[in-house]
Amino acid sequence: MSVYRSPGFDFSNSTRNNFLLNKGVPLPKATSTGTTIVGCVFKDGIVLGADTRATEGPIVADKNCEKIHFITEGIRCCGAGTAADTEFTTALISSNMELHALQSGRKPRVVTAMTMLKQTLFRYQGHIGAALVLGGVDPTGPQLFTIHPHGSTDKLPYVTMGSGSLAAMAVFESKWSANMERQEALDLVILAISAGIFNDLGSGSNVDACIITADGTEMLRNVDMPNQRVQKERDYKFRRGTTAWTKEDVRKFVVEETVTSTDEMDTS
Amino acid sequence: METSFALIGKGYVIVAADTTSARSIVKMKNDEDKIKTVSPHLLMTYSGEPGDTVQFAEYIERNLRLYQIRNIYPLRPAAASSWIRRSLAESLRSRHPYSVNLLLGGYDTSLSEPKLYWIDYLGTVTEVPFAAHGYGSYFVLSLMDRYHDPEAPLEEGLETLKKCIQEVSKRLIVSPERYKVKIVDKDGVRDIDL
Amino acid sequence: MSIMEYNGGSVIAMAGKDCVAIASDLRLGNQMLSISSNFQRVFPVTDRIYIGLPGLATDVTTLRERFRLRVNMYTIKEEREIEPEAFTHLVSSTLYEHRFGPYFISPVVAGISKTPTGGIKPFIAATDLIGCINFAKDFVVSGTASSKLFGVAEGLWEPDLGPEDLFETISQTLLNAVDRDAFSGWGAVVHVITKDQVITRKLKARMD
Repeated sequence: MSVYRSPGFDFSNSTRNNFLLNKGVPLPKATSTGTTIVGCVFKDGIVLGADTRATEGPIVADKNCEKIHFITEGIRCCGAGTAADTEFTTALISSNMELHALQSGRKPRVVTAMTMLKQTLFRYQGHIGAALVLGGVDPTGPQLFTIHPHGSTDKLPYVTMGSGSLAAMAVFESKWSANMERQEALDLVILAISAGIFNDLGSGSNVDACIITADGTEMLRNVDMPNQRVQKERDYKFRRGTTAWTKEDVRKFVVEETVTSTDEMDTS
Repeated sequence: METSFALIGKGYVIVAADTTSARSIVKMKNDEDKIKTVSPHLLMTYSGEPGDTVQFAEYIERNLRLYQIRNIYPLRPAAASSWIRRSLAESLRSRHPYSVNLLLGGYDTSLSEPKLYWIDYLGTVTEVPFAAHGYGSYFVLSLMDRYHDPEAPLEEGLETLKKCIQEVSKRLIVSPERYKVKIVDKDGVRDIDL
Repeated sequence: MSIMEYNGGSVIAMAGKDCVAIASDLRLGNQMLSISSNFQRVFPVTDRIYIGLPGLATDVTTLRERFRLRVNMYTIKEEREIEPEAFTHLVSSTLYEHRFGPYFISPVVAGISKTPTGGIKPFIAATDLIGCINFAKDFVVSGTASSKLFGVAEGLWEPDLGPEDLFETISQTLLNAVDRDAFSGWGAVVHVITKDQVITRKLKARMD
């Protein structure tokens, strides 16, 4: 077997899985980010926002995950949908953008990332379940896009996606205005995400935001934490020896050796 | 209904399988040997889809023999179980997978220990002190859980086996009437007449 | 009946103070019939990394073999032991490669990683069946009893537990959660990993 593996997906399990599927067992669900993600344009840049809850059906799988993914220094991407898909698709496009920037010797553009993403997603006909909000500032100015799992895109001044998109959009519709100040825009994004956190069951926990301007990118991890857990009133340590065990095996990495002296060798 | 079981005792493994060969609702044969001696200290029962079973068992048998011819030493039970599992797992990913369930009983001549592996058509393997396949397993596993002793001498092991056979005959609707019983220990493989 | 429930089994990992613990039950079943009460689904990867593979039992063995191969190749190529972070990404990319024909396993990784300053840091992570990583600071759970494990662990876990206290906490969490899961139980095993030793204990558990 070679060290090098061919790129792309491996379908070798598919025949088996279809066989199992035909026996009447449904496929299990993957982690999804039933999410609120938003983006909005302001005077000199873009603000992206996301909640931090990851769900697996009705279970909260991760209470503080990161949904704002790195594309390039001036471009970031929020992901909703199948968590693994958003993670890997953005990572793939991120490295292709870096290679593209190196190849062309120019600053990477948001449209380039958008085109790469939409072409990737279109190729997979919606089977890669990534719904994205892509934003950034490039030589052409601030840019904001949404990309749907099937590969369609929108270019708008304020956008929302994920299961909390309706709640967040309601906030944008009532409060957004053109040419907002930086702080104003950040506050609006926090408000929009909070609307998702508190009104959509798929979204929750904290607010992540990212402010991108021509001067630089500021990633604000957990800018707002409205759902902090209170200190437990007492601890629930167990008394040592509570758990009964039948067999113990200790593997020590530190070799213990004892040096015993013997009579000196006769060298005469 | 097809039933096979096996249990470990002190220095031996007893392996038993029914001898009926059925097609649909018809009993075609009642002296079919469904336990293959796949190497000098290794027994394998096979059950499942008719046709697949014999084909797969012979494939395993010939390949383990080839290994022994090439390397002088036969595969030890643990290694054999691993290779058989892989064959099944790869078969499961092909268009026509083998639908075969196995019990692999062997005596590891290097460790001087009896070994028993439970293997199903999905490629699931686990080492167990006693095992069963088929509808009989629903009765037999609980019986063996109660009566099995890994340190039992051969007579006691055979007593437990008889209990199992009796229980299956008594409670299973279409129970097999005859069983083939084989034993593997340090001296190799031999048949037992109950 | 989902394919993830076909064989049953659960795994949990918890972080403590300069130590981590990973624990699993030992049942192997065929739907409602128990086949084995000694089925290993937690495996050592290096001295300081363990991986738990709850899910379809045939894939437990297949993936264990695959990871062993890939870790060995990594060790040879890099001439050093793999770190838990890198190993978790190896697991994740292996699973995502099979995005459209997955292995029915949602792994849990526990290990001790080295910091650039020469210190050590407890590391735990879990992924779903297509490789979405969940890095957690407290605990990660997986398997048929995961919903119960989430609840119990949320209540019992606390920060900075030493190896012995962590052993008690993880054991009680697992034991009590699997007692409420029909597909998990039948014995349990716990590994507590510290800087210079790994303690493995088989727990006395309910056998029903």
